[in-house]
Amino acid sequence: MSTKQFGDYIIRVDSIDKTFDNGVVALKNFSTNIRRSEVMVVIGPSGSGKSTFLRCLNGLEEIDSGSITIDGIPLDNDKKNRLEIRKEVGMVFQHFNLFPHLTVLRNISLAQMLVRKRSRSEAEDEAMQLLKKVGISDKVECFPSQLSGGQQQRVAIARALAMKPKVMMFDEATSALDPEMIGEVLEVMKDLAVEGMTMVVVTHEMGFAREVSDWVIFMEDGMKVEEGTAEHFFTDPKKDRTKLFLSQILE
Amino acid sequence: MKTSIYQFCKRNHLFDISAYLVLMVGGVLFLLKGAEDQGYYWQWFRIPKFLYEFDDGRFIAGPILEGLKITLNITWISLILTYIIGLVTALMRLSNSLLARGIARVYLEIARNTPLLVQIFFMYFVVAPILNIDRFVAGVLALSLFEGAYASEIYRAGIVAVNKGQWEASYTLGLSTYQEYRYIILPQAIRRILPPLTSQAISLIKDSSLVSVIAIYEMTMYANEIASETFLVFEIFFTIAAIYLALALILSRGVAYFENRYRVVS
Ligand SMILES: Nc1ncnc2c1ncn2[C@@H]1O[C@H](COP(=O)(O)OP(=O)(O)OP(=O)(O)O)[C@@H](O)[C@H]1O
Ligand SMILES: [Mg+2]
Repeated sequence: MSTKQFGDYIIRVDSIDKTFDNGVVALKNFSTNIRRSEVMVVIGPSGSGKSTFLRCLNGLEEIDSGSITIDGIPLDNDKKNRLEIRKEVGMVFQHFNLFPHLTVLRNISLAQMLVRKRSRSEAEDEAMQLLKKVGISDKVECFPSQLSGGQQQRVAIARALAMKPKVMMFDEATSALDPEMIGEVLEVMKDLAVEGMTMVVVTHEMGFAREVSDWVIFMEDGMKVEEGTAEHFFTDPKKDRTKLFLSQILE
Repeated sequence: MKTSIYQFCKRNHLFDISAYLVLMVGGVLFLLKGAEDQGYYWQWFRIPKFLYEFDDGRFIAGPILEGLKITLNITWISLILTYIIGLVTALMRLSNSLLARGIARVYLEIARNTPLLVQIFFMYFVVAPILNIDRFVAGVLALSLFEGAYASEIYRAGIVAVNKGQWEASYTLGLSTYQEYRYIILPQAIRRILPPLTSQAISLIKDSSLVSVIAIYEMTMYANEIASETFLVFEIFFTIAAIYLALALILSRGVAYFENRYRVVS
């Protein structure tokens, strides 16, 4: 890991707060910065605000205060800025969220054509290449319901990558998968990390966190409890709360 | 004893069919008896000429068929408008704009909580003179606005039934709201929307008879006129009831077809 070269800060999150309409406080004065090509893993117990943090990064949730800047673009009320950020930040969901009425090929080419304004043949060429990369070139004309969970998730990753994002976010991308399919998806994520993609990953896969991440954040109750390199986290965590969480999840 | 009859009914379609026939025959006999008690003199032979005549072997549509033509015209034009109004209203209700949601709400409350008859009169006596539109247009507008309110509920239900994750995936890919609806949401919602929307055509055919109150010569209007001139009340209204029934049955077959088709696809 140490041979990796990082760039400047591509994501800047400065003391954001988020309270939902029902009064639940999901993020409290949360700050972090992420460098280009860095892989950040976010861990924490259920309800600690991990998903909310990711969803704020691309504007799926509105923050109440603080600021978020992605590659120099502020996430504010300007529609153009928001669109730019949506294009630059790809997201992979726990439940894949593929478009069930479209074929695999169309799932991956549609947004390229509509948003990136590529021609159909360009978009489909790109889709084919990505499908090859994630290892499912033989399922081009299938509908999502005809694929296994692992295959669906790999299509979803290809769909996000097709937009040529600068950042990829994964929200428990393997949590809904049968155990035997987790590996194939983690493999694709690992490859991406090695290629130098900037990644923010929420996961319960501690093996992946340990092997691939450059920086780990442990959250609880919408706040950062502890952060550091993977090595720090898995060999020498400082806070008791972190130790307890890790011992529970690692056993 | 009670359960055995119940089970018998459940098992035996023959029982259902005979019960149905007994009821139908009973109903018709009741009507005939009522007519007889009033000393009604049946003159079915006078009816066909109100439907059609042959002049030198040339087919000439009678007033009833002329009226049917107008009824069908009112229905299909109103149906298209209903679908458009329904969709636009549903999108307004689901939009982020407070103004759009407010307008949609007010329209829906009025359209659903006042009688259609009153709406038709209002359109004809109040709106038509202001906009300078004729009675046919007024009738069609009133019907479309009334049915559009119900259609919008159908669209809305179909749209909100689409998984939230579909919106989120489209959003993160950078699609615009228009593109989300056009390529992702509506194609998935259509399966739920189409069958009930087709049923609305049946409501429209039936409700179109109400525009006779503003003297639009559709089928019911002609029937009313013929009945008061000739006193063939029973024959005329039996006839047009049969025509409405036939139209509704044809359409409901169509609905069943759509329902089957779209069930198979899902
Ligand atoms: N749309 C919402 N409306 C109201 N409350 C919400 C909403 N989304 C999340 N919450 C609440 O905000 C808190 C943080 O939720 P979040 O989904 O970010 O947690 P998480 O760390 O991702 O948990 P998990 O590991 O279970 O996915 C939780 O208490 C949750 O119940
Ligand atoms: Mg979560």
